[in-house]
Amino acid sequence: MKYLVHVVLIGILLSGCADKPLKQASIEDRALSTAADKPVVDAAAGSVSTSGASAADVSSRALASDAGKVKDANAVETHGVVVQNPEAKALGNAAEQTQNAGKSPDSTASGGNSGQPDKADSLKYVAQPVLDPHNAQSPLAQRRLLFDYDSAAIRDEYRTLLEMHAQYLKNEKAAKVILQGHADERGSREYNLALGQRRSESVYKALGLLGVPEAQMEAVSLGEEKPVSDGHDENAWAQNRRAELLYQGD
Amino acid sequence: MLTRLVVAALFALLAIPAQAVMTIEIVGGASNRIPIAILPFGAKQAERASTEPKLDIAEVVASDLGRSGYFRLVDGKDSVSPSEPKVLSLPVWKERGADAVLMGQVLPVSDGKLEVRFWLLDAVRQTELKAMAYVSSPASLRVVAHKIADAVHEVLLGEPGSYSGRIAYILKRNSRYELQVADADSQNAVTITASPEPLISPAWSPDGRRLAYVSFEDKKPVVYVQNLADGKRIAVAKFRGSNSAPAWSPDSRKLAVTLSKDDTSQIYMLDIETGATTRFTHGGALDTEPLFSPDGRWLFFTSNRGGTPQIYKASLIDGSASRVTFEGGYNVSPALSPDGKTLAFVHRRDARFHVAVMDLASGQMQVLTDTVHDESPSFAPNGRQILYATLVNGRGVLATVSVDGKIRQRLSQSGDLREPTWGH
Repeated sequence: MKYLVHVVLIGILLSGCADKPLKQASIEDRALSTAADKPVVDAAAGSVSTSGASAADVSSRALASDAGKVKDANAVETHGVVVQNPEAKALGNAAEQTQNAGKSPDSTASGGNSGQPDKADSLKYVAQPVLDPHNAQSPLAQRRLLFDYDSAAIRDEYRTLLEMHAQYLKNEKAAKVILQGHADERGSREYNLALGQRRSESVYKALGLLGVPEAQMEAVSLGEEKPVSDGHDENAWAQNRRAELLYQGD
Repeated sequence: MLTRLVVAALFALLAIPAQAVMTIEIVGGASNRIPIAILPFGAKQAERASTEPKLDIAEVVASDLGRSGYFRLVDGKDSVSPSEPKVLSLPVWKERGADAVLMGQVLPVSDGKLEVRFWLLDAVRQTELKAMAYVSSPASLRVVAHKIADAVHEVLLGEPGSYSGRIAYILKRNSRYELQVADADSQNAVTITASPEPLISPAWSPDGRRLAYVSFEDKKPVVYVQNLADGKRIAVAKFRGSNSAPAWSPDSRKLAVTLSKDDTSQIYMLDIETGATTRFTHGGALDTEPLFSPDGRWLFFTSNRGGTPQIYKASLIDGSASRVTFEGGYNVSPALSPDGKTLAFVHRRDARFHVAVMDLASGQMQVLTDTVHDESPSFAPNGRQILYATLVNGRGVLATVSVDGKIRQRLSQSGDLREPTWGH
């Protein structure tokens, strides 16, 4: 499983460059097809079916009392792979640095070598993710952050993801993002709206600290009204306690 | 009275009839039910010729009283309708087990209107308890029938009934959300507004002419106010961030709302006419679900300022706040009885969400329901019943429970019902 996701991740990183002329054609093709099979890592997690969903009442009662303690296996696995895999993290960071270097006027990559742009670009193909939220194969296609029960704290595993979104928003001054917070279904709809608002505000603050201007963001809440999982158990609730980034034009 | 009937008639003309019909299931009832016989309401030939669909007034009254849990119906359907009380043989009805008998007549009056006369008789003492008449358009006979049920309830039980009120709620079906208004018996449902995006938190203006609600059609919560008479609506709170939890001031001029425009979710006062907002709560905690006390002196609300969500009240005069609920770690969604003495709310116990009530003078709390996903409690106009939403087999239904917890009803329909609120 780890290996597969790793391959997918590399696939995503590489395939974003597919529209540019590439020499390592055979490798890219394979990576692309892998990515096409599983285009978005998080989508797989989001659509995990909750087999216990129809068992509704009895099971949800039993689970609900331990809501805070029960860990959702799917969420941990998926995000654990993406984040705890040191190589994946390194790739993300490297990607950012390379991109910064590319944009910087005095960077060593482009400075003095303006006659050979092809070479400079080809160096980037290996590591740079395409920062385009509207490209399904970009890492920015991952828009979802999950939260613990009764918590608006952003998990460490989303640091790299938020850094990439921040980078994009700083580069694209015209881009605007709505941060939508969500809560699970338990309890009052209005109180859950306030809880969801807390979650979107957490993301808003985190992006703000990464340098994203406030004018490009709005933090709102959809409360418990838009679940991604219709189940009534902890597995469903864990998927529904989330924040999502919605870009203008989505 | 007449104005209200006219308003109701106008409303009926403009509204689009909703097609689904709700069913009502009674769960439990009072231990001593009053046996009452309700005789068919006689009608003169002129009324029979009316083009309006005929409404069986006795049937509507019997249905109201029967499902309330306070009355036992003695079968009176097959009897002929007496033209006046003196031709009625009360000893016969006493023999059949009725303590009370309701009879009535429908007579044509001018302008195509109808006069509905009714008599409530005591079969045991053989006396007349009440005699009254309503004049209405044929289209409003159902309203008249509910008012007769209210009158019977009040005479026999010493407190007003709540059969003639209206309820508002959200119906979700086929991924469409509809804000509907219906009679208290869930008949006559009309769709006020519909959206492919969620609708929540409907709130009646105290004068019953407008509804405030939250719509997500702009990919975020925005507060709207809509006239029932002409369907016109305005977005009254559409600030940066989330806008929600509308609650009317007793004079219908202000809304308390939850906004996140300056800080996390905080409560503001919004002047509906001017759109001006004044911040009411401060601090980094979540404050939401505001509710004015009927006397306009207090604002009740939900806050997690003490670590868990609890109900607080703040003075509208000096702003000082105090905590109201203490038992358990989750008490939300405050609702007040019309006399302001009883608080209803959602209380979590063992991970289950129940409707509970608290006597505000003594602080005594009582859990009323055995359902486990209760939401949005709201008092009937007579303060004797609480309407709320809950889940039964994973589907949203509306339910009522008497304030003593003894009498329960469920209203269900195809689709999910949620967020009910009783008009006053």
